[in-house]
This record gives sequence, structure tokens and C-alpha cells, in this order.
Amino acid sequence: MKRLNSKEPYLMLAPSFLLLMIFLLYPLLSSFLYAFQSYKLTAPNDIGFNGLDNFKAVFSDANFGMILRNSFIWVVVTVGGQFVLGFILALALRKPFPGRNLYQAIVFLPWAVSSFVVGLTFRWLLNAEYGPVNDLLLKWGIIDDKIYFLSDPQLALFTVILTMTWYGIPFFAIMLLAAMQSIPEDLYEAADIDGAGIWSKFWHITFSYIKQTIILTLLLRTIWVFASADLIYIMTAGGPANSSNILSSYMFMKAYATLDYGQASAIGLFFMALLILFCYLFMKVTKFEKAGNF
Amino acid sequence: MTRNQRAALPILRIVILVFYLLMVLLPFYWLFITSVKPRMDILTTDIQYWPKHFTLDNYRVLWSASNFDVFLKNSVLVSIGTGLFTTCFAILGGYALARYKFKAKTAAVYGLLLTQMIPGVLVMIPTAILFSKVGLMNSLSGLIIIYIVGNIPFCLILMRSFFDRIPVDLEEAALIDGCSKLGALFRIVLPIMLPGIVATFVFAFIGAWNELLCAIMFISSDEFKTIPVGLSMFVQSYDINWGVMTAGAVMALIPSLVMFAIVQRFVVEGLTDGAVKG
Repeated sequence: MKRLNSKEPYLMLAPSFLLLMIFLLYPLLSSFLYAFQSYKLTAPNDIGFNGLDNFKAVFSDANFGMILRNSFIWVVVTVGGQFVLGFILALALRKPFPGRNLYQAIVFLPWAVSSFVVGLTFRWLLNAEYGPVNDLLLKWGIIDDKIYFLSDPQLALFTVILTMTWYGIPFFAIMLLAAMQSIPEDLYEAADIDGAGIWSKFWHITFSYIKQTIILTLLLRTIWVFASADLIYIMTAGGPANSSNILSSYMFMKAYATLDYGQASAIGLFFMALLILFCYLFMKVTKFEKAGNF
Repeated sequence: MTRNQRAALPILRIVILVFYLLMVLLPFYWLFITSVKPRMDILTTDIQYWPKHFTLDNYRVLWSASNFDVFLKNSVLVSIGTGLFTTCFAILGGYALARYKFKAKTAAVYGLLLTQMIPGVLVMIPTAILFSKVGLMNSLSGLIIIYIVGNIPFCLILMRSFFDRIPVDLEEAALIDGCSKLGALFRIVLPIMLPGIVATFVFAFIGAWNELLCAIMFISSDEFKTIPVGLSMFVQSYDINWGVMTAGAVMALIPSLVMFAIVQRFVVEGLTDGAVKG
């Protein structure tokens, strides 16, 4: 069945790889060039190289520091929250119970829902005038004044983070649950015989057995969360006054609203540099190379 | 572990499970009941947790006053197109990776995994420039292409893991019985893999159905807008008609829910398989 020097596998992979080269690799490489060009769709006759002008313009933007800080908070709090809450859910789902399949189908639902629907729903839930969250918090006496979740510059970013955390719990839970289910049950039985406590079992068996999955999931999710801009676009459009903008949403808004593709590409290049630096450090710290097995 | 701890654990577990269930269901509940309330019951500070007056007016307005039928048609076309092409390419490529040995195999697998780390927002701008040069801007086929590209690496790896689970002996037996190689693939292997194929299709379908930013970036005229783009235009204004918007969101939700319900188990299996084993 398995043959070397056959052309067949190459032909079979060709459609996928051709598409990836034309519509992923080529655009990615060409964005290096656009970052050093004046490329405004509003001025199509004025396209040409302009050296480091785009980078200068981006870095001297008064909001750039805040946007970087926001990106950091966004990634750390969101991924941290998704991980902890996803882990707890996976632990609760590990042992079978009646109706577990139906239960799983329901709690994993957010994974299949569009960011548009999620963003709209949470905007409406957290609405200051007519939203149920403010209403209940007031009725129960938890707060005295309405919370302006999305229009308060101090809160807007954290409101989107809350929503994003909710959105991403299923992904972590699914990945961690599958890894937990591959832990041989006799490990726990042996630990019971040895009289190991619940924490010791958790730490020495559950956690250490699925460590590689945790590392891989954290890496993939961090990249994904760092790059995702759609919830921010739907919920706040980066506002009020950029207070909930992160690097990716700022870049999207720059390209979409101002049509300045040159500056947006410069942000993109900076973005990519950060990402590569992060991946490098992450793999170094976690010794990730040992995790790959194919 | 003390006796008290042992007794407390199952209760704690039930509390946790109920908490997550409510956390997922309550937002959807609120979305749904808003869509069946009349406008005066939505825009009131006397908030109704159970609708006093049930109405389908919001759905009627959605269908008559907006281009929702056009958005729906576009979403269906784009999602089915993406699903079909992605699945076909993934079957071919997955089969090649699972059943052949060839020089560039490791490089191909690494390449596919690496694409998973390239954020879509980065590629969006140069792709827009490329699209406008070749006339794919503001077209459904352009959108389908970009969605195939976005979904193919994962789906291909996923499909490969489904092939890996099927014993090679089955195909070899068919070959000995005089089946051609392609015949063996179509007559023996693919039928067994139907659940995996469906899961791959659903994965790509849901991805295309839900995608927002590329669709915003690449589509400008109403006649080509998909549901998320079409409706998001109304969300950006200050005067949101919440009744109609929630009705639209419910409509956008239904296909993903149905699909997810059907193949939930396979998607869950496949996600972990495809992503962890590589």
C-alpha cells in the first residue's frame, strides 16, 4: 500500500497546497512589502514606497501604548479565565453521569455560535437601560447605581473579556476532557490503595498526565485570542475612545475604516514579530519540542 | 480524604454542573424571549423575565423590511460551497498523508500545523489587495476561497486521523479482489468514514457560517452580504432595533445549533484528535 517515489500523494495534496500558497503564503509575504509603502485606497494614484513612515506614524499614535497594554490584559485575563473555567468543567465531566451526552451538547454550544450572535447577546444582556443584568444586580441590592458596562472606558475592555471568556470555555473543556479520558483508570485505583488524597491525585496524576495537552492548548489559544478582533468589533468597535481596542482590532479598524493598508500592514508586521517572539519564549519555557509526536 | 470531603464532592460537582448549564442557557434564553416580545415590552425599565405578550412581529419585520432573505441565501451558498470543497480537498490530502510514504510528508504536516498559527487578521489586508487585482473582491466565490483556505489545514489533519483509524487490510483485500485503488477508496473506505466526512463538512460549514471580519472586509454590496455582515451593519448604529436584531440572531443561530447537535460527538472527538495528535 505504502509506496515511495509515487506522484500520487503529491497530486492528491496539490489542490490544498496550491490554495494555501496563493491565498495564504503569498499574501503573508507580500504584506512585508505593503508595510513599507504608502498604500491608501483613498489615494490610489499615490501608491509607492515610503520607507519607515508607516511605522513612525503607528508608533507615534498617542493611543498605541494603551492599545499594547490592552492587548496584554486581553490575552492574559481571557486565556487565564478560559483555561481555569474550562478545566473545572472538564473535571466535572470526567466521570459519567446520566444524561452526560445531552449535557455536553448543551454546555459546548457556544463553540458553534458566531461571534456576531454572542456579541449581540451580551451587549443586550449588559445594556444599561433595559438589560437584565443591571436590573437584577440593582434589585438584589448588590449595586446602588447602574453599571455602564460598555460605555464606561474603565470597564469596556473587561466587559468584552468577560464575553470572550464565556465564548472560549468549551474549547478548553473539550480539549482537556479528551486528554483526561485517556488517563488509565488504574492509576487512580493504585493511588487510592496508597491512600493518596484528592489534591495529590489531581496534581500527580490528572495534571501531570495531561500537561502536554495543556501546553499545546494554551499556545494555540493564546495566538487565537491575541488575533481575534470580531467580538470587540461587534460589542464596542474599540471604543469608547480606543479604550477597548487591542492590536488586532485596531489593525482591522485601520484597514476597514481608514482604508490605509500601508499603516495597517505595518501594525501587522509588528504583530507578527510579537507573535514569533512569544512562540519562541513559550516553547523555550515549556520545552515544547518534546511534545510533538507525529 | 475525610468522610466529610467524600460526601461534599458529589454535591460540589452537581453545583458546578448546574452553574455551567445556567451560564450557557440563560444568555440564549434572553436572546430568544426578546425576539418574541413587542417593542414596547423590550424598551421598558419594567423588565419582563417571562414575555407578557407573545408576538412574531420581529420575525415578520426581519423578513419584509431587511434583505434578510438575500443574506440567508448568501450564507447558505457560501457555507455549503466551503463545506463541499474543503471536505473533498481534505479527503484527498488526508488520504495521501495517511496511506502513502513520500519525501515531503513531514514537511507537509509541519506546514499545515504552522498555518494554524497564522492569524487571519494578518492575511486579510494583503488578500484584499490580491483579490481586487484578480477581481475576486465583493464576490461570493472570493469569500468561499478565503474560507476554504482558512479551514483546509485543520480539516485535512482531521481527515488524516480518520483514515489512520481504518485498517489498511480492508483496502488491500479489496485490491486483491480486483478493485482498483480508487475503487477501493470510494467503495470500501469512504462509506466506513461517513461520520468523519460529515464531521469535517460540518466543521467547515460552521466556520463559514459564523465568520464575520473577512466577510465585512471583502463584501461591500448588499446583494453579496452574508447574515453576520448584513446584520452587523445595523448593530453599529446607536438606535438598535433589539427585537428585530435578536430575531435575526436567533435565525443565524438555528443552523449552527442543528448541525452541532447532529455531529457533536464527532466534532468533539475530531477536534481533540486533529489538534493533539497532529
